[in-house]
Order: sequence, then C-alpha cells, then structure tokens
Amino acid sequence: MNAFFIIVIIFLLFNIALGLYRVWRGPTVADRLLTTQLFGTTGIAILIVLAGYLKELTLLNVAVTFNVLAVLLVICLVQVWKKKKGEAQ
Amino acid sequence: MSVLIDIILAILAIYLALQSLLAPRLSQSVFLFFAFGLALALAWIRLGAVDVAITEAAIAAGFLGALFLDALRDFSVSDTEKQENTKADQSLVSAKNTNSPWLPRLALGLGLGLFLLISLEAVWEIPSGGGLTELAEAMLPASGVEHPVTAVLLNYRAYDTWLEIGVILMGLLAIFAVGGRELYRKPVMAVQDPLLRQVILFFTPVLFLFGAFLLYVGKTGPGGAFQAAVLWGAIGILLHLGGWPVFAVIPRWLRQLLLTAGLGFFLLLGFLFIAGGNALFEYPPAYAGFLILIVETLAAISIAAALTAIFANLNQMKETPNETETTT
Repeated sequence: MNAFFIIVIIFLLFNIALGLYRVWRGPTVADRLLTTQLFGTTGIAILIVLAGYLKELTLLNVAVTFNVLAVLLVICLVQVWKKKKGEAQ
Repeated sequence: MSVLIDIILAILAIYLALQSLLAPRLSQSVFLFFAFGLALALAWIRLGAVDVAITEAAIAAGFLGALFLDALRDFSVSDTEKQENTKADQSLVSAKNTNSPWLPRLALGLGLGLFLLISLEAVWEIPSGGGLTELAEAMLPASGVEHPVTAVLLNYRAYDTWLEIGVILMGLLAIFAVGGRELYRKPVMAVQDPLLRQVILFFTPVLFLFGAFLLYVGKTGPGGAFQAAVLWGAIGILLHLGGWPVFAVIPRWLRQLLLTAGLGFFLLLGFLFIAGGNALFEYPPAYAGFLILIVETLAAISIAAALTAIFANLNQMKETPNETETTT
C-alpha cells in the first residue's frame, strides 16, 4: 500500500513539473494563473495522499488552507484586469 | 523508496527558486514563485514542520499572491505596450549592469559568501538528542497549551512573537509614511458582476470560520495566530477587491484599536506580570491556556487588519500616478 501512495505522489509531482511548461510559455497572465491554480489543486491532491501515507490528518488543514485561498488569486486577477481595461479606454 | 519523493521535491524547489529569479519576464517570475511556494510547503511537510507548511501555504498562496498580482498590474501598463516596455526595460537594465562598477558586485558576492559560510557553520553539527526539544516538551504541562510549537511561540519565546507583531505594524506605518493615508479614503465602486459578488460573499464566512478553526486548533496541533491572521486578512482583501473597503469606512479610532490591539494587549499583559512580581511574559500556569488564547485572538485580529490595510494602501496608491500619467 505504501508503494502505491509513493507512486501516486511521484506521478502528481511530475504533473507539476510538466505544468511548468505552461507557466514558462503561456502567452497571457491568465494562462499562467490557471496553471498556478492547477498546481494548487495538484498540491492539495499530494497533501491528501501524503496524509494517508504519513497517517497524519493535520495535513488536511494545509490542504484546506491552499483550497480556500486559491480563490483570492483569481479574484485579484479579475479585478486587476477590469481596472486595466478601464484605464486603456 | 520515499527518498525518491524527497529528491524530486528538492530538485523541484531549487529549480523553481532559480527560475523565479532568472526568468526573463516578470509574470513568469511571479507565477514560478507561487509554484515555488507550493514546493516549499510540501518540503516543510516532508521535514515534519506542518506549522510552517500552513504558514507558507497561507502567505505564499494568499497574501503574497494578491500583492504580486497587484504589483504586476503596475508593471504592465496596457496589453499592447507591455512587451515593448519590458524589452526596453530589459535593455536598460542590461546596459546599466554592464556599466556598473565591479566594487558593489564584489561586496555583494563577498557578503553572500560570508553569509553562506556562517549558515553552513550553524547547521554543520546537528545537536544530538534533538536540541531543546526535550526541554520544551518537559515544560509543556506548565505552558497551558498542548502543542510544543504554540508553547514555544506564545509562552517560552513570547517576546519574539510580540516583536513580530510589531514588525508587521511597522511595515504598515512605513507604507502610511510614504503617503497612502489620504488615498486610502478614496471611494471605490462596488462590484456589479453578480457572479463575483456571490463568490466574495460565499468565501467571506468560509475564510472566517476556517481562520477561527486554525486559531483554536493551535492549542493542540499545527495552526495558530499567524495562519489565522492571513485567512482573516484574506477576507479584508476580498472585500476590498469587491468594492467594500470595510477597513476604510470604519471610524478612525476603531481602525487604530484594531491595528494595535494585539501589540497593546501583549504589552499590557507583560507589564501586569512584572507588576505582579514575575518576569515579562511569565504566565501564571493556572491561567496560561486562557491568556494565550486571548493573546492569539487579538494578535490575529491585529495582523489581519494590518495585512488588509497594507494591501488596500498599495492597491490604491498606484492609481493616482497612473491617472496623472494619462492626463498629462
């Protein structure tokens, strides 16, 4: 069972590494932000699997912290864009 | 086998740290830095420091993210001019770099080298027997809390924590001094978009509840005032972005009270202990748990207020220079 957890975690870590390509490439800020959101979700998945692997349920608190704060970035970007458009007009 | 996870995490963290410094474009750096924060939080968990992981998650993903995105707007004036601007900036920077004298570089290099040597020396010999861990755990029953990290932060080394709250307040004062205070009162239009409105209204109680949970759970496990403060500060930032600048419309005395409550109560408590014949921050064991909870709550409120004010000030400070630029 432990080997399964480790394989899943490594697979998810590779997912993050692959997602870096989009951060590097991504033509607009929104693409990069979405990749960061993907990292956040993958990070939450890793945390949940780690919580099972290490038998430590407090890791779920870290996962929820990531989860509830992820929305802040999106709203911040949306509002920043709105103001930028207003200035351009 | 689990060493494989650690190796991948270490490589990822170092790679992300390097890339976020070296990336040619600002937005790349900013988003690579968020990814770095995630890798760092996972690394802290692998090291067994869940408290630090929560703080890293809250600050890197939440507060710093909002500040960086806001700063990013400042550097990208409009979508079309953006690329030319960054290119021009880059050539300017590189031209400056080639002309810069070698002396500052040498000084910086030497300083960093020295710092590296000192820090290497500090961690070279890991103290056998886990350093002060045993002592901290032995005194746990007298500290009033059940989690050693909280006991260290708010009982054994309460003085450090008190000064840390002061440092955040100091940062806010510096921003006020640079000239954010009048701009702060500027009226902001409330959000018209119903979806955004609902999202903000939905996440406000969620953030508040989870912050309160983290604050309370700090007594027995990972969590505590700073983590809760970031979550509560996120409420203020969300409301500010949604056009409800709660922190700007409340009366001035209330704002000052909110900002200084944590620092002030801590100080008052310390003086009362001295007056009672104890040392500064030497809690009487019978009331320690209760007092620590009050101190933590007030500290969290103060830090949350300070974080909100920092974001609100920096967010509005930039609007005036932009407007003057466009009018002239």
